[in-house]
Amino acid sequence: MSNLLDRLNFLARKNVDTFSDGHGVTTSESRGWEETYRKRWQHDKIVRSTHGVNCTGSCSWKIYVKGGIVTWETQQTDYPRTRPDLPNHEPRGCPRGASYSWYMYSANRVKYPLIRSRLLKLWREARVVRTPVAAWASIVEDPKKRKSYTGVRGHGGFVRARWDEVNEIIAAANAYTVRAHGPDRVVGFSPIPAMSMISYAAGSRYLSLMGGVCLSFYDWYCDLPPASPMTWGEQTDVPESADWYNAGFLMLWGSNVPQTRTPDAHFYTEARYKGAKSVVVSPDYSEATKFADLWLHPKQGTDAALAMAMGHVILREFHLDRQADYFEDYCRRYTDMPMLVQLVKQNGQYVPGRLVRASDFAGDLGEKNNPEWKTVAIDAATKKVVVPQGSVGFRWGDAGKWNLEEKDGKGQDVNLQMSLILDENQDTVAEVAFPYFGNREHDHFEGTDHESVLVRSLPAKQVKLKDGEALVATVFDLFVANYGLDRGVGGANVANSYDENVPYTPAWAEKITGVPADHIITVAREFASNAEKTNGRSMVILGAGLNHWYHMDMSYRGIINLLVMCGCVGQSGGGWSHYVGQEKLRPQTGWQPLAFGLDWARPPRHMNSTSFFYAHTDQWRYETLNVSEILSPTAPEGPWDATLIDYNVRAERMGWLPSAPQLETNPLDIAAMAAKEKKEPKDFVADELKSGSLKMSCEDPDNPANWPRNLFVWRSNLLGSSGKGHEYFLKHLLGTSHGVMGKDLGEEGRQRAKETVWHDDGPEGKLDLLVTLDFRMSTTCVYSDIVLPTATWYEKNDLNTSDMHPFIHPLSSAADPAWESRSDWDIFKGLAKTFSEVAQEVLGVEKDTVLVPILHDTPGEIAQPLDVKDWKTGEIEPIPGKTMPNVVVVERDYPNLYKRFTALGPLMNKIGNGGKGIAWNTEHEVEALGKLNGVVTEEGPTKGMPKIETDIDATEVVLMLAPETNGEVAVKAWEALSKATGREHAHLAIPKEDEKIRFRDIVAQPRKIISSPTWSGIESEKVCYNAGYTNVHELIPWRTLTGRQQLYQDHMWMRAFGEGFCLYRPPIDTKSVNPVIESKPNGNKQVVLNFITPHQKWGIHSTYSENLLMLTLNRGGPVVWICETDAAKAGIVDNDWVEAYNANGALVARAVVSQRIKEGTIYMYHAQEKIVNVPGSETTGNRGGIHNSVTRAITKPTHMIGGYAQQSYGFNYYGTVGSNRDEFVIVRKMEKIDWLERPLAEKVEAAE
Amino acid sequence: MANALKIISVLVSYPTADLLDAGPQLHAALNADGVIGEGEKNLLGALIDDLCAHDIYDAEERYVLLFDRTRSLSLHLFEHVHGESRDRGQAMVDLTTMYGAQGFGIDAKELPDYLPLFLEYLSTQSPEEVHNLLGQTLHIISAIRTRLQKRESIYANAFLTLEAIAGAKADAAAVAEILKAPEDDPNDLQALDKIWEEEAVTFGAGAGSNSCGLERLRTRVRAADRSVQQQNH
Repeated sequence: MSNLLDRLNFLARKNVDTFSDGHGVTTSESRGWEETYRKRWQHDKIVRSTHGVNCTGSCSWKIYVKGGIVTWETQQTDYPRTRPDLPNHEPRGCPRGASYSWYMYSANRVKYPLIRSRLLKLWREARVVRTPVAAWASIVEDPKKRKSYTGVRGHGGFVRARWDEVNEIIAAANAYTVRAHGPDRVVGFSPIPAMSMISYAAGSRYLSLMGGVCLSFYDWYCDLPPASPMTWGEQTDVPESADWYNAGFLMLWGSNVPQTRTPDAHFYTEARYKGAKSVVVSPDYSEATKFADLWLHPKQGTDAALAMAMGHVILREFHLDRQADYFEDYCRRYTDMPMLVQLVKQNGQYVPGRLVRASDFAGDLGEKNNPEWKTVAIDAATKKVVVPQGSVGFRWGDAGKWNLEEKDGKGQDVNLQMSLILDENQDTVAEVAFPYFGNREHDHFEGTDHESVLVRSLPAKQVKLKDGEALVATVFDLFVANYGLDRGVGGANVANSYDENVPYTPAWAEKITGVPADHIITVAREFASNAEKTNGRSMVILGAGLNHWYHMDMSYRGIINLLVMCGCVGQSGGGWSHYVGQEKLRPQTGWQPLAFGLDWARPPRHMNSTSFFYAHTDQWRYETLNVSEILSPTAPEGPWDATLIDYNVRAERMGWLPSAPQLETNPLDIAAMAAKEKKEPKDFVADELKSGSLKMSCEDPDNPANWPRNLFVWRSNLLGSSGKGHEYFLKHLLGTSHGVMGKDLGEEGRQRAKETVWHDDGPEGKLDLLVTLDFRMSTTCVYSDIVLPTATWYEKNDLNTSDMHPFIHPLSSAADPAWESRSDWDIFKGLAKTFSEVAQEVLGVEKDTVLVPILHDTPGEIAQPLDVKDWKTGEIEPIPGKTMPNVVVVERDYPNLYKRFTALGPLMNKIGNGGKGIAWNTEHEVEALGKLNGVVTEEGPTKGMPKIETDIDATEVVLMLAPETNGEVAVKAWEALSKATGREHAHLAIPKEDEKIRFRDIVAQPRKIISSPTWSGIESEKVCYNAGYTNVHELIPWRTLTGRQQLYQDHMWMRAFGEGFCLYRPPIDTKSVNPVIESKPNGNKQVVLNFITPHQKWGIHSTYSENLLMLTLNRGGPVVWICETDAAKAGIVDNDWVEAYNANGALVARAVVSQRIKEGTIYMYHAQEKIVNVPGSETTGNRGGIHNSVTRAITKPTHMIGGYAQQSYGFNYYGTVGSNRDEFVIVRKMEKIDWLERPLAEKVEAAE
Repeated sequence: MANALKIISVLVSYPTADLLDAGPQLHAALNADGVIGEGEKNLLGALIDDLCAHDIYDAEERYVLLFDRTRSLSLHLFEHVHGESRDRGQAMVDLTTMYGAQGFGIDAKELPDYLPLFLEYLSTQSPEEVHNLLGQTLHIISAIRTRLQKRESIYANAFLTLEAIAGAKADAAAVAEILKAPEDDPNDLQALDKIWEEEAVTFGAGAGSNSCGLERLRTRVRAADRSVQQQNH
């Protein structure tokens, strides 16, 4: 019988068995346990959002929501795929982001509008009998009342308030300030728009429509590398992280990728697996060191010496003894190396002067347009001086000739000659002087005893100029001489061997940096040889570890030189990867009209924060750095004997840097004053400045007429995180308890400013009102007068981009804002509404006279070509836009500010849009936006215009107007650029012409952006994004004086401060230790250490740092890291409470004693909050202090240069930077830990 | 009883002018209440008198400092048991479901675990339910009361009364568990310093409960499986 009936035909018995040799078991038991997980992970919707924190991560997350409550988050894994052979982007995310949902319901969340109760009481009393603006006036005009709340900032005393009431107070304060002092006294600080660009735009739109001032951030954070604008005319443009994978040789220099670029670090690992060689340069044994084939650990702050020595080796082996074809060709076409420099006789020797211009020759070499702005070189074939296309003179007014084709201005082919070394090319060998700073004395840095002026020989040529015979040399020959290389033309201070102790040999660098010479030689050789074999696939990733030093430009330019001499910039897998604070606002040109109200009025008021805070927190009153300490021994004649703030004042009045406030007079009154004199406002301002009846505010920052009065801080923790010179902020800007220990220059009797008025009593408490928007009670909130609760990143709609990957993605609202919080967009929209009502008490339609600095990427950038003339000294007339700031009258409609805020204004149709020097028509986009968002139907000034009511409406404005998210605009933008270059570029965008990315698209999936001329790389299926790519491959000039990568900086101030060429400069002496080291002994031993503040692992700046998960992973409060040797010297053991202090202030923290740290340094991860577990300081008696309590911003004159092509002002593009790593602190163990939780013993008597 | 819970709900809410003017009304309601004893009535009476004697700004400042800004005194119950863990979101969802089952939705911009809201809900429930639910939160209430007493805050009276209403003693171990949490009572210096102490690293079985050990995983699974009725531990 068959087993027909026994056999199962359709079913099989579930196998209860073992597998894998008994390591696995299959069973048939109930799976009821899964219920646990099903219940645990339940949700009723999943929303895509990200974390709008300043980390450049821009990672997509899934937010799980149940019943309107966010329950948890996980990483999204649906990024568009990459091309074959390139690893995918995901997973993106880090432990910090994964702990975010906690913030939403945390006890630390700001839940209601908070206000200082004293201020609220004063307000309610005044408001009973007064209108809003009058009520505000009655409070701030009474010094006793004002002091009663400003003097207790930071000491608690908050009560909740209603939105309508706080809105009225803020609106009244703004309206009062605009009327009484001027709109440029209303100031706002918010950083890094890219992380949540609509939230940024909300505040900046409100301020801009009012005429208020937006403060910069990139330069203030000291994340801006000024070397980038100097070299490339570009703020910062870098490869995406995926491009690391294409590199053959990677150097990680002063950057800690796994710790601070966590979601991108996998590309580094993958590149290592693929076989890329890797060198890590870091003084400490940082987390990134694990990537290293070779770890170089130079003494901190001496990186420029290391880079110079590597340059010495590469020049010797790849440019002099043997010429690598690829390098030579690249340098000739894409750098200023062939350009001619005039050698000027000074004190009996030659020094390099400025670049020779067409205008220096008889007949301007046939150039009619801008001959003063066209640099010249020698054509190798004809041996004649030619004017190569592409310099900035061609950019403005020579349509079609601004490109890097090998042609001169007449269209003739040329082949530029880099060197005059061959006998047939040179007329003579010149002795040229170069400055040397490595011999300056510093208590903590090793120097050498070479002369301050090093004379070196190089080939030169005699040419006939308008005013006689002159000696010229090529940039290349000067460049090589500067590196101390023997060319066989004799002379001193040059080396033939790497072992000679001559700047900048490897042997010399070993003395300065401590890195063995043979390591330097090996790395340089391999770096260059990889680049030669791969056409430039050698890359340097660099960051804050270099850029936060006072002389950051030297380290940066030293490294840029390496990359340029090896042809790496603009090549996939190569180039300069500056990763710090650079978060890239991809749809920038679409965002700007929204953010700065350009649809209603141009220009907006922008200010560079470093100069602003230097002046208005009065850090200048304590300046210890004398200009003589940084001036070059080869400086040309000039009025160099002045203080740093004097240089800033000069820069402001010459139109180089912006001003805020601008004039002592209210800018709303100027137009009427001019009309009375029957003059154009432009002429009126110029005349009256000259006569002295109008004064610029910068000349007297401590005069109450020039104080900033209202400050908004949003998306930022200015006081807890980025405020260099924290204690000076507290003392002078806020007027509350502070820990400043140093004496000001008046008390010290030191050098006083020449151009700036000195008041013996520095003002304390310049601000009438400090308003902060945040979702957590940060240090800045604690010090504010009014705190407004904002929506978190899971409660609002916004846009987010990064330069680490090419995708744009959203923040979207998973739940309604909890408690009384609102999105930034709604907060500022609400304020705009109240302001429009309240302002009518004192303001109508007004004429606002705006001073505008000379701006980069505008025709005005070619303002002051040959030397520096200051109208104040009478050597030249004040000419707006040329020798002083431009003067523009803008109409403000204060009663209609709200209507303007919520509609796209008429200038988008009338003027169009653009950016970085090109412009295009936007009528079609405006029309489309009207259809998409709807148009205003209500009667009034905005009838018929596209609506911008909601945050989503606002995102659509950005997406529609930007070339990166609207293919049609991208094509228009490339065509606009083609007019200038005379070359066809639209092919980069035409395949995507029909693509229009909307908000809902990116909610569905992150989208890759479209190639746009705003950026120098392209989005393509063939290469990864890499900066400089279109310069090299599309022959679009860099936006510099020469149109090439500019390695010689010829502005007079650059030469004066010795930085025409890159060289090594030791850190500056901040002199903040000696005045206080013996002042307050506590009986314990002290050690003096270099204070280093890298980015941390357990937070993104201050965000997350007070989150219990992160506190648990770290040590639960502020810590500093020191090495075992230094700890032993001071008798400190691990986990001791220590104090670090100097003249600027003091901080307290637990000590982490670790072998990781280099002797002589102390590390404090930046931005650990004062609000968690911080006891009092023994020296100041105040609560601990933060990392910035021991710092003070020190400005650098070369960063103030303006009106000079790439060295012209741009918001966050150029300007002074807030460096902080040259600082030293005294460290000792604390005797007494005092948690200071007594009620404030107040010195100020409370007002009634 | 419902009355007393409602009174406490009002008293531990943010002080408003209405509240400070309502002294007589509150006293009358308190006297009429039939469940809490004289001792508790005196406690609440003292709290009412104290609040009404305060300047409104001072009363508000005090409230903001205590309950809005001091994490260890947060009136959001789950802050003390779930803190920033992922359990918190689910626990709030469960609580909302419970309110919903009784026909209540939340009509304020508040989270479901806000104590005054929770008390208002209890004030509508049967004595058995009150005992049950209050009993489950007793360890939190006791812990907050202990901390308030340490600060000599009169708000402790409200919490003493709640403990009396619950009529049970909080599980000492559970209270201690909460009190172990980072104390941001700034007057207690030793407590502040204690939170700096790091857990010693142990390897193998029985690793610290903050590690990824088996114990921790079990705790997590239990937490996930917990229905709202057993949500205290």
